Amino acid sequence: MNRLHVALAIVAAFAAAAAGVIDRGSVDRSHPGARAAAIEFISAPDLAQRIMSGDRDLRVFDLRTPDAFAQFHVPGAHRATAASLAGEPLTPQTHVVVYADARPTIVEALQALEKRNHRDVLVLREGLYEWLSRVQEPRLASSPTPEERAEFERAAEMSRFFGGVPRAGVPRDEVPQGYWTGLPRSEALLMDAAVKSVAAIRRRGC
Amino acid sequence: MTPLTETGSLGSSGALVAAILIGFAFGWFLERGGLGSAPKLAGQFYVTDLTVFKVMFSALVTAMLGAFWLDRLGVLRLDLVYLPETFVVPQALGGVLFGAGFLVAGLCPGTSCVAAAAGRRDGLGVMIGMLIGVWLFNLTFDRIASMYSATPLGAVRLTDLAGVTPGVGVAVVTALALAGFAVANRIERRRA
Amino acid sequence: MNRTPRPYIDPYLAGIGIGVVLLAAYVVVGQGLGASGAFASVVASGTAVVQGATRAAASPAVAPYLPHGIASPLQDWLVFELAGVMLGGFTSAWLAGRLRRDVERGSGVGVRQRMSAAVGGGALMGVGAKFARGCTSGQALSGGALLSVGSWIFIASCFAAGYVLAPAARRLWR
Repeated sequence: MNRLHVALAIVAAFAAAAAGVIDRGSVDRSHPGARAAAIEFISAPDLAQRIMSGDRDLRVFDLRTPDAFAQFHVPGAHRATAASLAGEPLTPQTHVVVYADARPTIVEALQALEKRNHRDVLVLREGLYEWLSRVQEPRLASSPTPEERAEFERAAEMSRFFGGVPRAGVPRDEVPQGYWTGLPRSEALLMDAAVKSVAAIRRRGC
Repeated sequence: MTPLTETGSLGSSGALVAAILIGFAFGWFLERGGLGSAPKLAGQFYVTDLTVFKVMFSALVTAMLGAFWLDRLGVLRLDLVYLPETFVVPQALGGVLFGAGFLVAGLCPGTSCVAAAAGRRDGLGVMIGMLIGVWLFNLTFDRIASMYSATPLGAVRLTDLAGVTPGVGVAVVTALALAGFAVANRIERRRA
Repeated sequence: MNRTPRPYIDPYLAGIGIGVVLLAAYVVVGQGLGASGAFASVVASGTAVVQGATRAAASPAVAPYLPHGIASPLQDWLVFELAGVMLGGFTSAWLAGRLRRDVERGSGVGVRQRMSAAVGGGALMGVGAKFARGCTSGQALSGGALLSVGSWIFIASCFAAGYVLAPAARRLWR
């Protein structure tokens, strides 16, 4: 080991020690003036539970275009933009949930809420696609695993509450995939699939 | 604000250009460090050549410390950087299979490309093997689908599970890595 | 080009270089490096060509990688990145006098055995990387630097398996 190695090790140790000191103690996210908080997600089934339980402090905001919103949106959601969120009437008790179909939109909205010091914000991770796949229009494949069947049964109950149509015995390639089945995210795939689902819903005429 | 692609400053074609540049630098350093040579890599498992450990963990610590501080200084939004999901059993199983394959092949997917690019036919063999392995996995996917998605924990960090702050996690990992380098140094001195 | 090849650089410096590159990836594209995903993309595209796009899309393993409105930006990115890796590896080897058509192997092993081991080991890694959602570049390095739990599980099991099985594979590397 030569002097260069020792020097590098000292630099690393210093940077690490400083990190530990600056961040000492256990996890605490609420100190004022802190840097932007991490994005926290809510899953579609959890959101559905909250809506079903009639939580009065829950506000869901749809950040997509007016046309998309008009076609279909999460029941009870209101349309919003980053700008409108800045002036939206919110109390400290309000639980905000947002969803969109592009990450930069989410980031802008979170920044707007952060600016007015509202930190109780959750993001519906895969947006409308997740809502459609896991709550509104759940699909069960023809030869399902026990886990898939259990998940579908849970989803089917919620789906009936929101006026959706659960369907079992579909070919495997028609079953929506996403992070919850362990497959990679795909922005374009999600949007495309969401568009198809919405078109199918509209054809049914709700 | 960075990441550039997550804050709208860089589009998808820009990202692909960045991919090539970043990949070029990655391949460059891998080759310079000797990681394009299978016997050298395999030496890690026989404790005759600890290059893999040294390169991997100095890279890990560098990126980890860099990411932490860029985030604290407000240059990088670390929460917008893709954090892989955790699936406890599949990833442990995958690690075991991968480790076995790495031992036998002497190259990993990235280094096999470096070796192949330098003319090593065994590097090309590993690349072909990778394609075959992925293809076999796809063929049997229906049967292994439930194992594949088992035990998900979502995208969690060690610090989340341990209930400590990111800074503490970073400090601990760095300390462990430095200790590991000291041990590696001692092992090499003894062999010499 | 037959001059004496230059020596390898200090592994710690190579590691720091890779660490900086990884950091650049976080900053520019918000994700880490990777390799195995690119192989998965290639297989998926190949499957689509051979079987036709609709049949290939029927497999949930393959579907996310297909260019159907583009499978996943993440996977495409990896293919371009790996292309860069090959260019970088080639250039470095060329400038260092290490370009050589060769089959690197242990001294007690013939070419045939080595090539079989390479393909077989590669196949094991292909399966393992799918289960683990990544390989040494994507999970161990990139996920590890972010302290992802699964990445560290992968690191531990990968190295453990290698060390435990090493005696059995000694013949390959003697």
